[in-house]
Amino acid sequence: MARQSNSYIHILRIVLAVVGAAVMLFVYLNHSEKLNTPLMDFFTDDFLAQTGADNAVAAIYLNYRVFDTLFEALMLMVSVMEVINVSWANKHSDRYQLEEDDMYYKNNSELVARMVGIVYPFVILLGLYIIANGHVSPGGGFQGGAILATALISRYLVYPNFDLDLHIIEKMEKILFLFIVLTPVLYVFMQIQPDNTVISHQVYMVFMNTLIGLKVFFGLSIIFYRFVFYEGADNTFIDR
Amino acid sequence: MKPLNLITGETVGILLFFIGLYGLMTKKTIVKTIMSMSIMQAGIYLFYITINYSPDTVPPIGQSREAAFADPVPSALMITAIVIGIGVTAIGLTMFMHYKQQHGITHWSRNRNQQGSEH
Repeated sequence: MARQSNSYIHILRIVLAVVGAAVMLFVYLNHSEKLNTPLMDFFTDDFLAQTGADNAVAAIYLNYRVFDTLFEALMLMVSVMEVINVSWANKHSDRYQLEEDDMYYKNNSELVARMVGIVYPFVILLGLYIIANGHVSPGGGFQGGAILATALISRYLVYPNFDLDLHIIEKMEKILFLFIVLTPVLYVFMQIQPDNTVISHQVYMVFMNTLIGLKVFFGLSIIFYRFVFYEGADNTFIDR
Repeated sequence: MKPLNLITGETVGILLFFIGLYGLMTKKTIVKTIMSMSIMQAGIYLFYITINYSPDTVPPIGQSREAAFADPVPSALMITAIVIGIGVTAIGLTMFMHYKQQHGITHWSRNRNQQGSEH
């Protein structure tokens, strides 16, 4: 009996999902109302003169809608703090004796290690380029930070040892977040700007992109290394 | 309307969202729940970045204006949403590992000894 009612509920859920998708698709495909795009018109009207950015997306997330960026940075920092602090491995860190000899070249192919070792300086270079040119070309802090984090992940492929002090990286991320909050508050909200804003807008864009890129880099690196070395430890190793 | 015209980013995004919702409602494994949430997020990204798209636009970079600009607003919104999605997934996985180690729970179930992958 219970199994039967379970299967009824299962069918009900499937029907609910299908009906929901059908209703959404029907409503979406049959709407005939043409909406104007006032936000897009406002943002693409004169963004180079107003914000100093050639890239309209950078102009939006660093000047017009900078609140988004602030709370996004806060969200990433909260998740990093959660990954570091709310973890089973913290209270049981004595069982996580990371043995260096076992981990070194544990199951890495020689080919991958050598090739990644050749490639990863260029990955860092590409990440820095994308961060520095984020306001004049496609790119920006988030994308460049993710590419820099890829460099650190490829470092893990070459040299899978846990010799980074994640708490120092976390502290640096918090300091960077302080600067990420302070810079737009002073420059955009309180309008502490020089008279000729052509150069200072560009400096602001590059500075903010660099801060965001470094912060995303630190955040993703912390998440990756925590997951690889703490959360990913297998059960037999822990239950011992 | 031809059937091929139906396959746009928006419709696929809506379908992905509901596939993720279906996974959230039916799957009892916590990892599969987190994966379903990621699928829902992917649907939302796809919906947003293809909304208000027309083929004859250029990227909104520079002021040259050979053609109309593409809409930069959804892209700027989705940049933040993607990073937040990474954060949400990381939080979910960490909490899952915590529960797994502390209580041995891997399923949304009253029966704690439930193992296996039938759900």
